[in-house]
Amino acid sequence: MKKFLMGNEAFAHAALEAGVNVVAGYPGTPSSEVVETVAKLHAAGVAEGVHVEWSTNEKAALELLAGASYAGARTLYTCKQMGLNVASDPLMCVNYVGIKGGMVLYVADDPGPISSQTEQDTRRFAAFAKVPVLDPATPEQGFAMMKEAFELSERYGTPVIVRPTTRICHASAFFDVAERTVARPVPEEGFVRDSKWVIFPARALAAHHDINKRLPEIGAEYSVGDRATAFNPVMRGGDRQAPDAVLGIVAGGVSTAYAREALEMVEARAAELGVSVPAYKFMQVGTPHPFPQDLAVSFAEGLTDILVLEELDGVLEDELLRLAGLRHLAYNVHGRVTGEVRAAGENDVDDIAARLACYLGIPQCGPVEPAVVYDAADAPLPVRPPVLCAGCPHRGSFYAVKRALGKTPAILCGDIGCYTLGNAKPLDAVDTCLCMGAGITMAQGFSVVDPGKKALAFVGDSTFFASGMTGVANAVYNQHDITIVVLDNATTAMTGAQPHPGTGQTLMGPKSEPISIAATLATLGVKCIETANPLNLEESIVAAQRAIDFEGPSALIFVEPCIQLKKPKPAAQIDTQTCTGCKKCINEIGCPGIGFNVFAEGPKSGKRGQAFVDAGLCNGCGLCTQVCPSGVITLPAKEAANA
Amino acid sequence: MLNILLAGVGGQGTVLAAKVLAQAAQDKGWHVRTAETIGMAQRGGNVTSHVRMGNKGEQVNSPLIARGTADMVIAFEPAEAAAALKYLAPHGVVVTATTGVQPVTAALSKQPYVAAGVVEQMQRLLGDRLVLVDDADLVKQVGTIKVLNTILLASAVKTSQLPLNFDELRAAIKACVKPRFEELNFGAVALVEG
Repeated sequence: MKKFLMGNEAFAHAALEAGVNVVAGYPGTPSSEVVETVAKLHAAGVAEGVHVEWSTNEKAALELLAGASYAGARTLYTCKQMGLNVASDPLMCVNYVGIKGGMVLYVADDPGPISSQTEQDTRRFAAFAKVPVLDPATPEQGFAMMKEAFELSERYGTPVIVRPTTRICHASAFFDVAERTVARPVPEEGFVRDSKWVIFPARALAAHHDINKRLPEIGAEYSVGDRATAFNPVMRGGDRQAPDAVLGIVAGGVSTAYAREALEMVEARAAELGVSVPAYKFMQVGTPHPFPQDLAVSFAEGLTDILVLEELDGVLEDELLRLAGLRHLAYNVHGRVTGEVRAAGENDVDDIAARLACYLGIPQCGPVEPAVVYDAADAPLPVRPPVLCAGCPHRGSFYAVKRALGKTPAILCGDIGCYTLGNAKPLDAVDTCLCMGAGITMAQGFSVVDPGKKALAFVGDSTFFASGMTGVANAVYNQHDITIVVLDNATTAMTGAQPHPGTGQTLMGPKSEPISIAATLATLGVKCIETANPLNLEESIVAAQRAIDFEGPSALIFVEPCIQLKKPKPAAQIDTQTCTGCKKCINEIGCPGIGFNVFAEGPKSGKRGQAFVDAGLCNGCGLCTQVCPSGVITLPAKEAANA
Repeated sequence: MLNILLAGVGGQGTVLAAKVLAQAAQDKGWHVRTAETIGMAQRGGNVTSHVRMGNKGEQVNSPLIARGTADMVIAFEPAEAAAALKYLAPHGVVVTATTGVQPVTAALSKQPYVAAGVVEQMQRLLGDRLVLVDDADLVKQVGTIKVLNTILLASAVKTSQLPLNFDELRAAIKACVKPRFEELNFGAVALVEG
């Protein structure tokens, strides 16, 4: 069956076709759609026998899968690159213990970064953890790699990482996929007791020897035959009459696709200009760790130079330099080491085309400058930084806390989620953002060394469960004077509205008892717990005041669902007869649902202009009606709304 | 190779429009690839979808369009059209909605964004390679802004610059939208087709 699928959706299909039994992960862009797709197919009844879940965090997910794998199940773990940091503890150890059912870790990297805190390279992480990693150049190759990863995992009893990047995860194409899948049956005996499942120092030493033995074997396996053709393909290009190529190009990940495209551009341009392109050899390294050394050696034969194109770290570059030393090979490596490629951020076809043209000695065949250039000085273009949605309950939460604080000096610790956007003006309510759950614990550090300022920590509901609870325990245990502000919008909003323990909604269907955040905080020993509806400004300010004034760890929970989960209410209205054009609604809360028309005139606003509601965006949350000093913004009366 | 860049603001429906174009390409038997910027950008940020079709039987490599190589830019908003001009090929055509979408930053700043000024400059730069779509009027006639993407796709087909006709567009829409929205979208196509 041909289906138009995003990379991530296709990879979910591939895992199901490989008979995966258990799928678990934690949401994170650009990885989330894999678990969502498995859940969708399971709900549709076409993915038989699979268990799929969003786990509380990445560590929980991988440990759960370790258990499932020991009993013989094929397992798939998913996360974004930062998520592997959280699951690094089980990963490092499970590689030593070994697995029974194939274990694949789908870890999506984010060059740019487009929606992450770091540009860490999971290929590097794989080398550190001594785990094989596959790195697709296209969604189609990723589909094949997902299936291959399960086989490789079971051949050697090792976990295997598949590491695509954003442009692979979020690129779409048509795929031939099975209409129905059935999970591979788990061996009847289930988990079999064996001393090997218990990691002890002596056992770890033996395991380390095993790992050191198998990695070169795996590298050799991907150096020859069909596996090399599929995942580490070599091709020749340029002048076919010329003697053997002396120039080599090595690429990894999506840079391979960019380079192929760029080479086509450069060759087409050369043909136009009547310039000859020197012969070159091109190789994709789709199995960066363990490095396919034998293949690289035969590729490098006769080459004087190799240009390396990859994103994030210079992993392939380092391998080629190492290989040159090991085998006394006489090629020069061009790349980060020579400043000839981008050392950070994303690559693109244009940049690679320009660099390839120079490398091939035909710089005139690089990309042509765009024909039309827009002059932004003449008619300025708006910038569109991401902002909290119109009607987002977080807006009221931040605003109420800032109002309650007034002039009190404070440090506002943010965290990972939509609410990081509370940093934007005019709310300007996020002073720090580090990593998942860090706000709560960082606030404690501030309270110790900077007690003159009130330390507050904003944390979302999903982040609270993922990694906030241990921080709360620490605050209670060590009696830190902080206020924890939980923004409970009943979902994991930033990554596309996934459920979490506080919702009780599971991916398997049946609902579990939602875990109460207030009860959790109380159990952990927080003595002051205030709750408010962030769309009710007065109630929220009073609750915030009480929590802030409390000495010792206190909590404030703002409860209101994300707008993605609610039916929009009728838009607010602004009375043009009485709007004074004071702009307070805009300057205080900065909602995208309110614009300002500088040309509007009215009896109270004169030529100052007037605020207006964008009815397409406003969903009637009503926060602005409580901010307007003249009471000119109103929500339509219930009768009118129903009519 | 046929490169089409869709440029808009989060929530305007660029992703579905890309899907419809991909379907149309698939129906013609062409290899096709699309790529989206999604994630944090969705919160009011700009969204671009790259659609690449191997209309001469070739395979598509890069999921992203290189600068200066887009045969067509379909913009859901004039400033997004202007920002996408760097992708336009020397022969490329821009089809753009004329209604501007104000970001919060514009409301906060003293200098509002004036869409008409942006359109004027593009007219000077592109001449008859710029096709303006009176989206406000067309949306009003159909009755919902949800069909803005279909209106723009139909307007793109109407330029005769794409190797796609209205029937092929309708077939692709039928394959991509839920049956209950089919009539609404066909209405939008018919309105543009005239």
